[in-house]
Parts: sequence; structure tokens; C-alpha cells
Amino acid sequence: MVGEEHVSMVPAAPSKIWAADVNGQPKEVLVNSNAILLDVLRDKVGCLGVKRGCDMGTCGCCTVMIDGEPRLSCLTMAQDAEGCDITTVEGLADGAHLAPIQKCFADHGGSQCGFCTPGFLVASQALLNENSNPSNQEIACAIEGNLCRCTGYQQIIESIQAAAAIHRGESELPAPASDAHPDPNPSGPDEPTMPPGHAR
Amino acid sequence: MRGDFLSGGYKQQPGSGGNSIRKDGKRVAGKQKFAPPGSGGSDPVMKPRDLDFIPEMVGGNEKQPAGAHIHDRARTGTIVGKPTTLVDANAKVTGQAWYGDDVRLPNEIIGRIVRSPHHYAKVVSIDTSKAEKLPGVLAIATGEDAPNSFGVLPVTKDEHAMAVEKVRHVGDLVACVAAIDEATAREAAALIDVEYEVLDSIHDMRKGLEDVDEPIHWRGKYHVGTTNVQKRVFQEFGDRSMIEDPNAMYHGKWKFMGVNHGFTEPHAVVAHWDSNGRLQLYTPQQVPHYAHRALATVLDVPMHQVNVIRTFVGGGFGGKSDPFPHEMCAAILARKAGRPVRITFDREEVFWVNRGRHPSHIEVQMYADEEARISGFDIDALIDGGGFASFGHVTSYYNGVLATAPYELGSFHYTGARVWTNKPASGAMRGHGAVNTRCAVEVGLDDMAEQLQVDPIDLRLANLLPPHSRTISGFRITSNGMRQALQKVREGSDWDNKFRKLPLGKGIGIGCGFFISGSGLPIHWDPNKFPHATVHLQIDMDGGVTVHTGAADIGQGSTTAVAQVVAEVLALPIEMIHVRSHESDTSPVDLGSYSSRVTFMNANAAIRAALEIKEKLLNAAWDTLGYHPDTLVLNDRRIYYKHDPAIGMSYLEALHKAQEDKGALISSGAYRSPPMGGVHKGAAAGLAPAYSFSAYVAEVEVDVETGMIKCTDVWAAHDCGKALNPLAVEGQIIGSCHMGLGQVLTEQMVYGRTGHLQNPNLLEYKIPSVHEMPNVTPIIIESCDPEGPFGAKEAGEGPLLPILPAVVNAVYDAIGIRINDLPLTPDKVWAAIAKKMKVDGIEDPSSLPVPRLDFSELQSKLAKRAANHEIRDKRRQTTEDTHAYVNGVLFGFDPNVPLEEQVDGWKSADKPEPEQLAELGLAGKAWLKDEQRHMGGEN
Repeated sequence: MVGEEHVSMVPAAPSKIWAADVNGQPKEVLVNSNAILLDVLRDKVGCLGVKRGCDMGTCGCCTVMIDGEPRLSCLTMAQDAEGCDITTVEGLADGAHLAPIQKCFADHGGSQCGFCTPGFLVASQALLNENSNPSNQEIACAIEGNLCRCTGYQQIIESIQAAAAIHRGESELPAPASDAHPDPNPSGPDEPTMPPGHAR
Repeated sequence: MRGDFLSGGYKQQPGSGGNSIRKDGKRVAGKQKFAPPGSGGSDPVMKPRDLDFIPEMVGGNEKQPAGAHIHDRARTGTIVGKPTTLVDANAKVTGQAWYGDDVRLPNEIIGRIVRSPHHYAKVVSIDTSKAEKLPGVLAIATGEDAPNSFGVLPVTKDEHAMAVEKVRHVGDLVACVAAIDEATAREAAALIDVEYEVLDSIHDMRKGLEDVDEPIHWRGKYHVGTTNVQKRVFQEFGDRSMIEDPNAMYHGKWKFMGVNHGFTEPHAVVAHWDSNGRLQLYTPQQVPHYAHRALATVLDVPMHQVNVIRTFVGGGFGGKSDPFPHEMCAAILARKAGRPVRITFDREEVFWVNRGRHPSHIEVQMYADEEARISGFDIDALIDGGGFASFGHVTSYYNGVLATAPYELGSFHYTGARVWTNKPASGAMRGHGAVNTRCAVEVGLDDMAEQLQVDPIDLRLANLLPPHSRTISGFRITSNGMRQALQKVREGSDWDNKFRKLPLGKGIGIGCGFFISGSGLPIHWDPNKFPHATVHLQIDMDGGVTVHTGAADIGQGSTTAVAQVVAEVLALPIEMIHVRSHESDTSPVDLGSYSSRVTFMNANAAIRAALEIKEKLLNAAWDTLGYHPDTLVLNDRRIYYKHDPAIGMSYLEALHKAQEDKGALISSGAYRSPPMGGVHKGAAAGLAPAYSFSAYVAEVEVDVETGMIKCTDVWAAHDCGKALNPLAVEGQIIGSCHMGLGQVLTEQMVYGRTGHLQNPNLLEYKIPSVHEMPNVTPIIIESCDPEGPFGAKEAGEGPLLPILPAVVNAVYDAIGIRINDLPLTPDKVWAAIAKKMKVDGIEDPSSLPVPRLDFSELQSKLAKRAANHEIRDKRRQTTEDTHAYVNGVLFGFDPNVPLEEQVDGWKSADKPEPEQLAELGLAGKAWLKDEQRHMGGEN
């Protein structure tokens, strides 16, 4: 950082084994004892869907569920989540079937550039798990820690309301717009969605 | 949960019928449906033609108030105009979309950048020896490694990968290191010793107009004196004598703070020199092509040895459209280390790169004559460019020339100057250059309406340029939905029952916008030699269509738009269209996602390419069926005889027939804007093949005891020509409201007394959260542009402009105070309230007077004129009235005779006359100095 006293990070803190259930799978990785959960999830576990936007808890892009509670992984020490049940955006879908919240974000314009979307999805799924009939105000309070620069939130709130209706059983998941060609890769017709190479 | 899903038995392939949904909302895989051979899709039955989405001119039910369009015959009713999920939405909602920092290559190492702690200093020496000795450090680079300069505009290449001589702002790049991990890289960066010789820095843009010993950059013979003026502009059109003795006049001195794009994804880049020695550079870029050019220049390699791979872009808004020094740094480090290098920014570094909206001092004088015609605009805009030129050359023009419409003007006078200061560079941001001046001008109109005692909407309606007209500066207006936009928001907001009738603390305000839809001249190319956009299509025997385009999807949905138009023309389900737009190796050159050009230009190119394929398919069907292509109908995966649908063939049959000779069908389409505009200096700035128009009404609540403003409702009408994807257009309109609302209420880059940026983070840089958002009612106006793809124009930037003045005007309506200093933070508002209370001797803020409106006799005249103009506009919108119309007809001039010949004082000037120099405004003072070439300075 510019103009700040440098605090040495070398040599690194001692390593230790960190274990937790990530998206239902037991994971065991070697991490530094002072590691941040966001770094562990992205760099060690390979959950690149958890996004880093600000590193100081202001944008909400890194939101994950820890034991069902939405938490900012950039402000959580990895060791504090040790042994917990962690759900990231990758854990919302049921195999290749999108969760209602994901489908509704896609269909109602809840996602434009998509960078903040994982955080919004996790935060709103956590809300829907507790309350499948939220008011707009309750939704606003659930996502107040998430910044979105593209949508102006309005279509996000509409998406969450649509997903809530599915959770309540009042409406069904919309059928694909034009009866999609069967495709095991849910990524749509654009390019392959994983980057070259893969998570470490 | 997972367990009982698995115990449900054998899991079939997903994507099937989709009817079996469990109570908890999860879909259960059903029986697999197989596509019958030859159909080319999953549905065995052809869908009927959707006549509601086929224009009435070609036999459908879609209304066309603007008449026929050149693309009518290309419409098949497949998908254009229907709300469409973004084709990459599933990647985004599953976390699979890969942004800059998500590219992980085997053997990668991490780069960090050493940044200047000084505002302005000479770099005396850089000692890297300590860092080199640190175990794990693999490469270090400094400015010496890359002496070639670059910049987004060819005329102002003033950036280097790292400082070669001087650092120009805090956070400017000095050196970079790459190491095995981030901790080591950070440590090494701290171990690099840089010796600086600190120079006198400039932070106040007004000081930039003065001569100094050491200007921040040196422009050689074009340098203005020895000042820090990077660009100065003078434009004057019309008859200046018209502004004498005005009936109403507005004079406003405005101050706008700098604003950052605030995209959620910090910049990140991965550079990798592959086994053949070619550079593979992964970067979230809006304009990969300019990065491509700059990389080749800086790295001294031919362009064909560089492959720029655009990752998903986590928000751009103009902030990712320059070629960036850190992209060069990553490439240099990767070349030195022989391993892929990834550099990801902290949020703080995003603010050091900036390129946000220019901090500005804008002075506006506006005049109206006895008939409430706008007899003149005088605009003076001084803008703070920070340390580098970036897009600033263009911004300097846009601050003035984009105010020449949508109103008819008697005269127009603009002086602008962009100065270098020792701040992070300003650049292009959504609504590039037009936003601040537009705010001042629209508030000025509101003020003049108040003086004239007329309704501000009627004042606007009675002064609009019609469709198919020319502005005072020579811009060619084609479609124009301004009038409908104003009428719709007036109706939607119940304006007539609210304006000047709401109690203290509640207010309603209007604002309009005008923006380019693509820039008429490309930055790098002679328009006569290269197209603006090119799209390649390829269909192999499987029937899937691969679209190669260089257009960068930054979340606005450009990939979806191009897929939609191809699907529309070829009458295929959108799932059969595959857009490849990420790699410069496979994509034809596209000038990128800026100046709202993508939908207009890229979709036009795509339509041409698709029409070529369509022709081949129809010819193949002609061969087989024996019916001329004019009598054949292309509908959902089938081609048939118009009068007997039973006679026909499937899409795949026609395709295979067409492929008999040459295999895969390939076509290429391009778009180039028509020749346009005047010949004066700067005539190309602001020139566009089409323009968008918008009008917003905002309703606010102002707490008179605290100065807190809450915007509660916005009615937002935007003329986007034709909404290819209404879902995306509405998203753009609401998103624009959000961003503009940030600028008018909370967002500002705060520089302290010593010039240091005090809030380079998202905690103190206040982007509106969900609680600050008003209820936005998006209203789409479709004026059907004659040259737009299916009539479409831009919808990404223009919708931002009106929200600022609408809110400022609404605040006046609520408390009777105009504040010309954005953002309208509570402290400023309260200070203004307190001042008014003191001046007027008011004890209690709740007894502040609120403005009320008693119509003058002008009001009925204006309403009548507006009604006549409405008829005029309707006739001009179609081919009913094709007479020429230029700015000036409202003042009684003949559109067919050059105005210079009709009016004595009518002129068009691009530099001031000597006698004008004394009366120029703040930015105009830049014209008091001579350029070096006129001073016998450096040749």
C-alpha cells in the first residue's frame, strides 16, 4: 500500500492442516495458520466462484454460508471456520440443476456483469432458507451488505421474490425459454466456462 | 438433502423435459428427450411464426409508427424484442464465469507493483539488490525495461509501463516484482529502494492553467505556454447577437467532484509466454484491441505474436477501456521469469488507476428570448485530467458539444480545457464527458422556466429538435424519441398534479439526456479503410452457428445481443448460436465496448453476416424446391413455400445442400458509419451514426433539519430505438439510475489539503446500497432508428445523464434552494438551508418558503407550439415529411440555404478571435497562452 509502514509477511506463519465441509464435501488442505478463509477457499479448495472485491468487508462479493449463516469470507480467519459446514455459490446448484435462486437471477436480470452475483446468491439463499415469504424490506436488509454496480438492485429484488415464490410452492421453476438443447454443461451457448488451467 | 437426491435412483442426463419439479423447488432429472434427426434442435415440432414480433410492413402484427425499416425483411419473429436471459447468465450464477483473477495457469507466480508515495517527483535511482536476494523472487522490472510510450489515443501517448523519469501521482507505477507467492512478492516490493527528488505538485485544476517550471508532461511544439493544459477547445456556432437582451437568463457556476466507476471486480491480469514465444494475456478489458496494440508497442513484438484473451469483465463502465501499465508489467515479468505471472489489484490500487469521471468546474450561461426560444448556451468547462491524458482529448470536446441537442439553439459557445494535475488520471466513465455539463444545462432550463413562469416540461417540448435534423454543430440526428420520453414521464409521474404543488421537503424534478450511439470516427483507423466492427459466422454440418466477434461483453449483454440478431435472421433457437468473443486470435477486430457502440455497430455487422448465410440457405432451398427465394419463408429450423407451408425442407437439409461444394458455410459482415459532420476542428467529436434521448422525473424527500436527501421514485424514459432485449434495456436504465444517483448524492473522490486521496476504498467511497435506491419505473421508448440493427440504438450510457439534473431540480422543488456543488451531501444541503434561513431571517427550517408556479401567458403559447411540433415530429418520423431541417428553423431561417448566407452574424469558429480573449471564462483562459510553435520554442 502506498505510504504505509510495511509489515513483513515473510517468513510465512507455520502451516497446519485445515479441515471443513465445503459444499457437502469434506476438504482437508494445508494452510498457513493466519490464513484468511477467502484465500483458502479460492486458492486451496478451488472455489473460484467466491469473489474478492475489496478485502475489507464492504462489497459482499466474498459472502459464503458458514453453518447456514451468511458471512464475509474476507473478514473470517480460516481457523474460525474450521470444521464448519461451508456453502459457496458452487454449492447452491443440485448437480447441473440450478437452484431456484440461480435460475431466477438469470431470468429476471439479477445478474449483469456477474461479479457480485455469487455473494448475492449466497446471501439471498440464506434468507430464503429462513424465510420463504420475505417482504421487499426484509430482502433489502438481507442484501444490504452486498454492493452491485450494474443492476441498481431492483431486478435483484425481483429475482429473489420470484425464487421465494418457488420456495413457497406458489410457482414452478420456469421452463427453459425455448426448450434448450439438452446440454450437460449448464453454461449456455458461450465459450467453455472454465479458464484454461485449473485451481490449485 | 443431497443424499435423498442420489437415492432417487439412476441419475439421468440433465436438461430434459423439465416438468418434474419437487415440492422443495428442485428439478428432478426426467426422461431424456432426443432430438429427431435433421431438425437441428431439441423440439421435433416447428414453432409457429410469432406474428406479434414481425413488423406490420412485412405482414406481422408489430406496430411501426416510424414506418418501414431496412431490416424488416430480416425479421423472423424468433427472439428480437423478447425479454431474453443473458446467454452467459448460467455461468455467472453458478460461479463458473472466469474473471481476471480466476485464471489459474500451471506454474504461475504472483506479481506486485511498487508505487510512488509522492505526488510528483523525479526518480533518481532504483535499487533492487535487496529484493533480488530475497528467496522466492523470480523477476524484477523497472521503467528501463520498457521505454516505449503508449496511450489509448494515438495523439496522446503519454504513459509508460513504469516511470521512466518521473512519477506523476501517488500510486504511479515505479517498478514491479514477481515471486513464488503473494507474501514474498509484497515483501520484495517493500525491499525495493527508490530515491526520489520531489517536485512541486499541482492539485488544484485552476493552477494547471498557469505557467510552471516543470509541466507534468511536455507536448513539444504543441505545448500551451509552459502550463499544464493538456487540451483546450473552442467552439462557437450561430448568431451571438441573439443573446443580447434576453427574456430570461441563467448563470450557474458548478463544481463536480471526481467519481470512480466502482466496478466490483478489481483489475487483474495474467500474462503467459507460451512455448512458441507468443504472449497470451488474460485481462478483463472492455477494449481488448487497444490493449493488443499497446502491448505490441511496449513489448516490441509484432501484434500477431500477442493473443489478448478477454476474461469475463466484472464491470467496466469505461474504467477498463484504457490499455493499462499493469498489463505491460505482467507481460514483462512473465517474459523475464519464464513463468505465467498473475497480478491482482487491491481495491486501493483500483483508485490509483482510476480513469473515472473528471472533477470539473463548469460555468453555464443560458439565454431565452421573448418567445421562450433558447437563444444561446455559453459553456465553460475546466476539467481535471490527473496525471495522464487517457481519453481526455475526447472528454474535452464532449463536455461542450454533447450539449448541442436535443434543443434548438440560437447560438452556442463553448470553451473547454483539460489540465494535468498530480492525481490519478481521469478518463472515460459511463456518459463520458456529457454528464456534468448536461446536469448544469438541465438545471439552467429549470431555472429559466421558473423565470418565465412556465412549466419546464413544456419549455422543453417547445424547443426540441425534430427527428431527421441537424444540430447547430452539424451532428446528424436521425430517430428522435425525446418528445415521447418527456410525455411518458410527465404522464407516469403525475407531474401536472405534483410539480410546484408538493409540501416543503418533498419535490419533483425533470431532467433530459442526449448521448451518442457509437462514435462516428474510430480512434485508430481511417474510416474509409477499415470497418468499425466485423463479425464472422461459421456453420458446420451439425447446424450450430459459431459467431466470432471481438465485442467485449462487460455485463451489458453484448454477447446476448449478437446471438439474438443472428438467431433472429436465421430463425434458429438461441441455443444453437455460440458466440466466441474472448480471444483476439479468433475474433475479428472490434473497437471494443466504449462510447455505446457495441449494439449499434456489432449487431449491424452480425445482421449482414447472417443475411449472407441466409441467402446461401435460401438458394440451396431454391435448388431443391424450385421456388424462388423471394417466395420462401425462413421459420424455426425450416424453410418453406410461402403459399403452401407443406412444401419445404428442414434447416439442416438446406444447410447440407448448401455445403455440398465447400463444406462449412462461412460469412463475414462489417459495419462502417456513413460519412457525416462538418469540417471545423473537432467536428468529429460527438459525431455518431445515431443518438439516444432520455427524460427522467425524480421525486425526492429532503429532511430540512438534517439536509438528508432521499430519492424515492424515478420515472425513467429512454429512447433506445428498438429494445432488442427489453430485460437488458430495463436493467441498463435502472443501473444507470443507480450510478448517477451515486454521483449526485454520495459519491466523491475526496482529496485532502495536501492533495492526498482520502477515500480509496469502498467503505468511504459511498456507492449507494440497496437502501438508497429509489423505486425506478423504466419506460422504453422505441423510435426505430433507420440505421440501427432492427432499429436499435444505445441504452448503456445515455440513461445515466438525466438522473443528476432531475434530482437537483427536485431538491429545488422541495426546499427552494439550488445547490451547484455535487454531490449533494447532507452537510452541503444543510449549510445552504442555514444560509438561506440567515439571509431571509427564518427561525425554523420547517417554515422555509417553497417555490410555487403561476403560469404566465407564455405557458399557453408554449403548449400550442409544442402541440404543433408534435405534429411536425410525427410527420418527420416517417417519410411523410422529408424536407431538410437544420437547427435554426425555429428562429425562422431557411433550412435549404446555408445559415452563414442568411444571417450576418452566423458563424462557426474553432478558435477565439483576439477581441474575444478578454471575456473568456475560466477554462477559456487556456487560450491566453500561445503554443510553443508560435513562440519560437521547440520545433
